[in-house]
Amino acid sequence: MIHRRSVVVAAVGAALAVALPTAFAGSAADPGISSTAIVIGGTSPLTGPAASYASVARGANAYFAFVNARGGVNERKIDYRIVDDAYNPAQTVQAVRRLVEQDRVFVVFNTLGTESNLAVRDYLNQVKVPQLFVASGATTWGRDAAKYPWTIGFQPSYAAEGLVYGQYIARTKKKAKVAVLFQNDDYGKDLLASLKAGLGRSGSKVVAAEAYQVTSSDVGSQVAKLKASGANVFCIFATPTFAIQSYVFANRLGWKPLVINNAVSGTSNIMVLASEGGKNKLVEGTITTTVLKDPTDPRWNKDPGMKQYRVLLAKYAKGANPNDVYHVYGMAVGYETVSLLRRLGANPTRVALMTRARSIASPKNPFLLPGVVVKTGKGDSFPIQQGQLQRWKKGRFVPVGGLWTSKRN
Amino acid sequence: MIAAAFTDFMQQVVSGLASGGIYALLALALVIIHRSTGVINFAQGEMATLSAYIAWALIVHHSWSYWPAFAATLVISFFGGIGIHTAIIRPVESGSVLRIVIVTIGLLVAINGFVVWQWSGEPQQLQSPFGTEVYDVGGVVVAAHDIGTITVALGIVLLLGALFRFTKVGLALRAAAVNPEEARLVGVRVSWMLGLGWGLAALLGGVAGMLTAPTVGLDPNMMAAVLIYSFAAAVLGGIDSPIGAVVGGLLIGVLLNMLSFLSQYGMFDWFTEELRLPMALLIILAVLLIRPQGILGRPEVKRV
Amino acid sequence: MTPREQRIFGFAVFAAFVVFVFVLPQFISDFRARDYAYVGIYLIALLGLNILTGYTGQISLGHGAFMAIGGYTTAILMAGNEQFGGPVPSGMQDIWTLPIAGLVAGLFGLAFGLPALRLSGLYLALATFAVAVAMPSTVKRFEEYTGGGEGIQLFGLPELTGSNAVAPADPNAPATFELLGLTFTQNDWMYYLAWSIALGAFAGAWLILRGRTGRAFRAVRDSETAAVSSGVSLARYKTLAFGISAAYAGVAGGLFAIASAFVNPDTFPVALSIFLLVGIVVGGLGGLSGLVVGAIFVAFLPLWAQGQDLGSLLPDSVIQGDTVSIPILGDFLFKGTSAPGGPAIVYGIVLILLMFVLPNGVGGLFRRIGQVITNRRYSRSK
Repeated sequence: MIHRRSVVVAAVGAALAVALPTAFAGSAADPGISSTAIVIGGTSPLTGPAASYASVARGANAYFAFVNARGGVNERKIDYRIVDDAYNPAQTVQAVRRLVEQDRVFVVFNTLGTESNLAVRDYLNQVKVPQLFVASGATTWGRDAAKYPWTIGFQPSYAAEGLVYGQYIARTKKKAKVAVLFQNDDYGKDLLASLKAGLGRSGSKVVAAEAYQVTSSDVGSQVAKLKASGANVFCIFATPTFAIQSYVFANRLGWKPLVINNAVSGTSNIMVLASEGGKNKLVEGTITTTVLKDPTDPRWNKDPGMKQYRVLLAKYAKGANPNDVYHVYGMAVGYETVSLLRRLGANPTRVALMTRARSIASPKNPFLLPGVVVKTGKGDSFPIQQGQLQRWKKGRFVPVGGLWTSKRN
Repeated sequence: MIAAAFTDFMQQVVSGLASGGIYALLALALVIIHRSTGVINFAQGEMATLSAYIAWALIVHHSWSYWPAFAATLVISFFGGIGIHTAIIRPVESGSVLRIVIVTIGLLVAINGFVVWQWSGEPQQLQSPFGTEVYDVGGVVVAAHDIGTITVALGIVLLLGALFRFTKVGLALRAAAVNPEEARLVGVRVSWMLGLGWGLAALLGGVAGMLTAPTVGLDPNMMAAVLIYSFAAAVLGGIDSPIGAVVGGLLIGVLLNMLSFLSQYGMFDWFTEELRLPMALLIILAVLLIRPQGILGRPEVKRV
Repeated sequence: MTPREQRIFGFAVFAAFVVFVFVLPQFISDFRARDYAYVGIYLIALLGLNILTGYTGQISLGHGAFMAIGGYTTAILMAGNEQFGGPVPSGMQDIWTLPIAGLVAGLFGLAFGLPALRLSGLYLALATFAVAVAMPSTVKRFEEYTGGGEGIQLFGLPELTGSNAVAPADPNAPATFELLGLTFTQNDWMYYLAWSIALGAFAGAWLILRGRTGRAFRAVRDSETAAVSSGVSLARYKTLAFGISAAYAGVAGGLFAIASAFVNPDTFPVALSIFLLVGIVVGGLGGLSGLVVGAIFVAFLPLWAQGQDLGSLLPDSVIQGDTVSIPILGDFLFKGTSAPGGPAIVYGIVLILLMFVLPNGVGGLFRRIGQVITNRRYSRSK
């Protein structure tokens, strides 16, 4: 007696047995590598609460277009697929799976957002797809490289950054009372923890810390609470929209602290918006850190790297605002990626890519400040470990001291 | 210590009234549309955002100065509202509730998409017509923008009130909303009045948008939360009562800030900032269940 | 056709559909199977929502919240305790969490249905909308129970069936694993799991709706006063409808969590609740066949809109290169509909047009075609 169920099950099994081998005619090269192209993909917050960062992908794309126009990398053009994840890790997960399994990308590149990257790290490491030059400063990318060998970061770690701010406050203000607004996720908490470490036992301390969610509509109440703590230093560890709001609300409350704005929002284009057409004086004296050359800084007017930046942006990113510093970040990471791909030669593989990514020596990235080197090696999984403190003065950033270097590995 | 607490309290009240003023404007828009066409316009927030972006584009891309841009935006919003009603709402007005809900949702999605498509999702800044000054009033710091917002919101409400009460157009609007059949019989062009209602609502939304943007930053999703607070305000005040909408808006603005303030001083400390929105929604639910007609509305009586 | 013949015709169509579903993976790529798995998942949620809105006339703009309850129940039972502590023991295999997810969501549905009795029409829509909006914030607030904003990672866990998949030597071929003597890829497994449950749910819905319960539901929808006068208990049936539809959504949510292998508060945003309602209206209220189209609409339209650049449809006189010239207003940079925001514009316009052209949804269209085939001459009362 033939049970109907077993017939159905057998039919399914037979269908699968036929389908699987024929559906995937394998080839010897890694996915994403064809004779004419290298396919790379990544997610970017093109819409949603962090949409300011879309410029990073745009900058990288412009750089890749430039390289492609000159023949590409070892005769292959770079095919960069950018997918919107609206800064929502749930969407990142779906998008990255699609990039890996349907678009068959060679590497997942410069995906933006700490939480977004954390959400896909296990997956990418399990399927052994490089998670290259993560656009986030979370310390875990470098610190946990042994556990997640397929993941590598790029920008200076938040641990280094927070430490620098803490040390700066300890150095310049006696017994400061510090209030912190931070995003309630690993990125914000990372900065807060290292700030406290930097303050150490100097007599200055964090007297109030308020968190906000990425999906909050505004941070007015948080800023009011922070002001009420009586602090005279205000650390903004927030993404651009909320950083701007912090300036607006603090100003409206008549609060006049020293402001420290984190690197991911401390760019000149954001500072200009926060100054509310020049009327918000709270921006004056803001301290932040950076590794990028600022397109509005007259120091770089004759700089070949920035000249190239302007030309490329105009040619390959129509309508893009050249004063938006995030474009520079995109080009900087695009430059490193192209160097890395070039080193792989005629037959790139994912394994070779990650091996080379762990031994980068790039001292002259045209889009980074002079003296900032991109370097990884044995025991060093943080590509960039330096930065330049700067102060906002009369509509522009002025350097404070020389380059700082983080010893943390 | 008490003095500090008192200044904090007053500050929260003032900023609560300011945000409440914005909720009041949008709630009023929702009420006008609901009263005249029976529709809950889920796209109200996005229409307000679009108005704010139009103002911004005029100022930043076409170098207009603020007040002309403000006025032009109001005009564009007004006719835009009429246009949307005529082209999109009128064909489905008489259909099922669900169909209308889906249409306004389609409008929400399309307008939001248009804003992103045209101007990108990056945050921008729209200046406040009232500048960035703050005034010290007996120890309480009050921002010019907040005072200005409260003034404008109340002013517009009074103007509208006068329009409804003392002009022929206002009378016709009310007639068309309350009893379209009989209004037609006495010569009121009902469909024009409904369109006018949408135009007014769009104008109110435009003001709300332009007053919100300087505070929270101009970005495509800036009115999403405001819309929800405005729903709460409209429901609280009575979904068919314009005065109720205004009262509801101010109440909610102040109430939420009060909870924030009290949580600072130990009371209600379960109230973290994440609960602000759910609190507003709890208000919606509570009102709908306990007194669905809101504070100032009239109970809906169904004929069997 | 006699009613008996109609019934046999209906069965035949259903049987053909079942066969189609089981055979489809043969003809599509491995990853596409995943997309279609999501169609199955949405179908389950839509079946539930349809029972509530199509059959008892209660509008819900909050079914994403019930999906969230189901999804989080599944995730917490699978991995919660290991990842963030919390009082609920974890380590349950994914499949067994599904009935629990449905049950928990269903209980919440019943609990909501009781006070919801006092609301109707737009007010109910508002109330359910409020629930949907409040859900993510509430999840974040109770992070001891839910893992908060960071979410719960399910990828690679042994509780997730298919985690033990072995990648073959060829990097272009997907990993496979054994279950019940058959070899599956992870995506195919997800597809079959989702559709087996979806077809079962479909059959279940059909059974519920053809019996006395279904008649009571329809009576409530058509006229509450008439229903009460004929002895139908409004309270019982309206609440029951909420419970059943929430249970369906809960199971769908659990499956969604398994398919995505990750949940966080924004996995089930307000937009999801809205699109579920859109799905049943587009699919056509009341009928079951249109719902498949509704599910496809919810799953695919955003993706399709993203791939399509409608700029190519506009005449060259309007668009030259990158700029659009509009008289008086000047030149604008034209970005094509695949630029950010473009797909949303298309989606919104398609929605509006659909409501103009097909007020009864695609299901209504199917019904009319079905009537022609079965020669029903009388018109269906609404």
